[in-house]
Amino acid sequence: MHPTSLLMSSSLILILFLLTYPLLTTFTPNPKHSDWALTHVKTAVKLAFFISLLPLFIYFNEGLEVIITNWNWMNTNTFDVNISLKFDHYSIIFTPIALYVTWSILEFASWYMHTDPYMNRFFKYLLTFLIAMIILVTANNMFQLFIGWEGVGIMSFLLIGWWYGRADANTAALQAVLYNRVGDIGLIFTMAWMATNLNSWELQQMFATAKDFDLTFPLLGLIIAATGKSAQFGLHPWLPSAMEGPTPVSALLHSSTMVVAGIFLLIRTSPLMESNQTALTICLCLGALTTLFTATCALTQNDIKKIVAFSTSSQLGLMMVTIGLNQPQLAFLHICTHAFFKAMLFLCSGSIIHSLNDEQDIRKMGGLHNLAPFTSSCLTIGSLALTGTPFLAGFFSKDAIIEALNTSHLNAWALTLTLLATSFTAIYSMRVVFFVVMGHPRFNSLSPINENNPAVINPIKRLAWGSIIAGLLITSNILPLKTPVMTMPPLLKLAALAVTILGLLTALELAFLTNKQFKPTPKLTPHHFSNMLGFFPSIIHRLTPKLSLILGQTIATQMIDQIWLEKTGPKAIASANLPLVSTTSNIQQGMIKTYLSLFLLTLSLMVLLVIY
Amino acid sequence: MSPVHFAFSSTFILGLTGLTLHRYHLLSALLCLEGMMLSLFIALSLWTLQLDSTSFSASPMLLLAFSACEASAGLALLVATARTHGSDRLQNLNLLQC
Repeated sequence: MHPTSLLMSSSLILILFLLTYPLLTTFTPNPKHSDWALTHVKTAVKLAFFISLLPLFIYFNEGLEVIITNWNWMNTNTFDVNISLKFDHYSIIFTPIALYVTWSILEFASWYMHTDPYMNRFFKYLLTFLIAMIILVTANNMFQLFIGWEGVGIMSFLLIGWWYGRADANTAALQAVLYNRVGDIGLIFTMAWMATNLNSWELQQMFATAKDFDLTFPLLGLIIAATGKSAQFGLHPWLPSAMEGPTPVSALLHSSTMVVAGIFLLIRTSPLMESNQTALTICLCLGALTTLFTATCALTQNDIKKIVAFSTSSQLGLMMVTIGLNQPQLAFLHICTHAFFKAMLFLCSGSIIHSLNDEQDIRKMGGLHNLAPFTSSCLTIGSLALTGTPFLAGFFSKDAIIEALNTSHLNAWALTLTLLATSFTAIYSMRVVFFVVMGHPRFNSLSPINENNPAVINPIKRLAWGSIIAGLLITSNILPLKTPVMTMPPLLKLAALAVTILGLLTALELAFLTNKQFKPTPKLTPHHFSNMLGFFPSIIHRLTPKLSLILGQTIATQMIDQIWLEKTGPKAIASANLPLVSTTSNIQQGMIKTYLSLFLLTLSLMVLLVIY
Repeated sequence: MSPVHFAFSSTFILGLTGLTLHRYHLLSALLCLEGMMLSLFIALSLWTLQLDSTSFSASPMLLLAFSACEASAGLALLVATARTHGSDRLQNLNLLQC
């Protein structure tokens, strides 16, 4: 075998083995020493990251992609299921990024969860999640992808409900599982359709044989799956509720890796979606709606983690819009750059929360640029990268997306909503920075602000470097699969920057109004709409169970118990006979009039009969 | 049906209607009863003549005698009612209905 491909395949298999080894050591009954988390798990991830750079550089140098089919798992007469790993453009670039971000998060978690007695278990869960995510990303067939999909769903449930003594955390974990399950219906439907119509779950065979079919239904199934996993509008409330979990969980799962699984699925199956205009339009409109709605909700939230969660949801909507534009590679680029700055935003939030003695409300923070300068600077860098400041990481993906949006023939509504959401991004980022970093402190003086621990500083530093240069690095080294439109009028070219600056100026204006009274009474309705998340959870979470319970009660109690088993059965005899009985006994009350009138009636009838 | 038969049949039925559907006074019921008796008297007399059965010619007289007894019994009841209930209003007389 050619040495380069041998090198590549062996490195990739080694990565998977390195990651699973710490898990295998936990199957012995002896408890691990308290350093196990750091010595085994973090080292494994760090090592796996450095090894994964080798395939990455081989790919950049030669463009070599590898598909490894290991084992024929099961087969029926006509259908094979294999363990098959695909390391193509998407998974070769995503794996090092995921490992880098996870390495930083694990190091941060060793500080954040230091006082937790079950820290080893926490790290084990995070490692299991990472393995499931890698399985999902490197899957060459739908079955393996489904294994990874369900794996990340379950680990999300276990990690969100980490502090299970708290009722809100349990509710949030359950919410995550339920919403993901609704999405899974779509995925299973698509898998069934593929199995029955295309005879395979392998991606290569699917792409080759799907040319003659009308793919609207399976694509709809995939879109529903992405809606559930990636928190698009309609199945989105679980993502802000998932902030009940510890901050490392939010940083890993709900910003960089798990929530992009839905978008990743759509990217993997993008050859199927290219020719189906219905599916593309649905993606476009759904993504635009999501990005604007969640950006609106982010404007008035007061919990710093919820703002970042809504920001994640908004960026996921943007990725969905990109897929709707038939640009999967740009969506993937945004996934990669987004992982860096979003994880960093979460880590900075975690550092701030711990420093202020577990205070998460931004109205009780302030003045941190003097007290925690490093964290504040990185928060600012992350926010700038998020809003697409030129030449930071976010710029390369976000600006490319908005340029593609502006120069393509599409729904003008989607364009407007996306541009509006971009300006909202600037507004809420500015709001976070204003409340947290600027101004005077609004917390107690004896807060344990300490950012001198290298376990906190180094991860954030690494991610900050990533947020700055990742965009440049990735775009300089990959080949674009579709040619971007290069020439456009200057206003279109600068549209993203212009709306961002507009948003920034608006936010600055609003920020300096916080200590002045602009109107006698504020206008409360838009604030309530945004703060209560558009009333979506309030309505749906109460209405749907209520309707289901009423339906259950109507069917079980009223229809079956009371009617079929009582009224039409035993009681029917009674209720049919009772009127007859009462009429008869009413007649025979002993009133002479009744008897005589009967006699009269009979007699007159008789006479009439005789006459005629 | 011959007109005479029709006459006393309808008299009987009308009397019966009056007896059945009386409302206020017991006396009107008794009067209707007398009317029914009268029509029966005419009927018996007619049938004796029509059917040429002379052995029945005494029956109208017997009927008349019995109807007189019965009328006096009815009147005695009326007087008894007036004594115990104060009038002959028929609402007071629903003895068999609880």
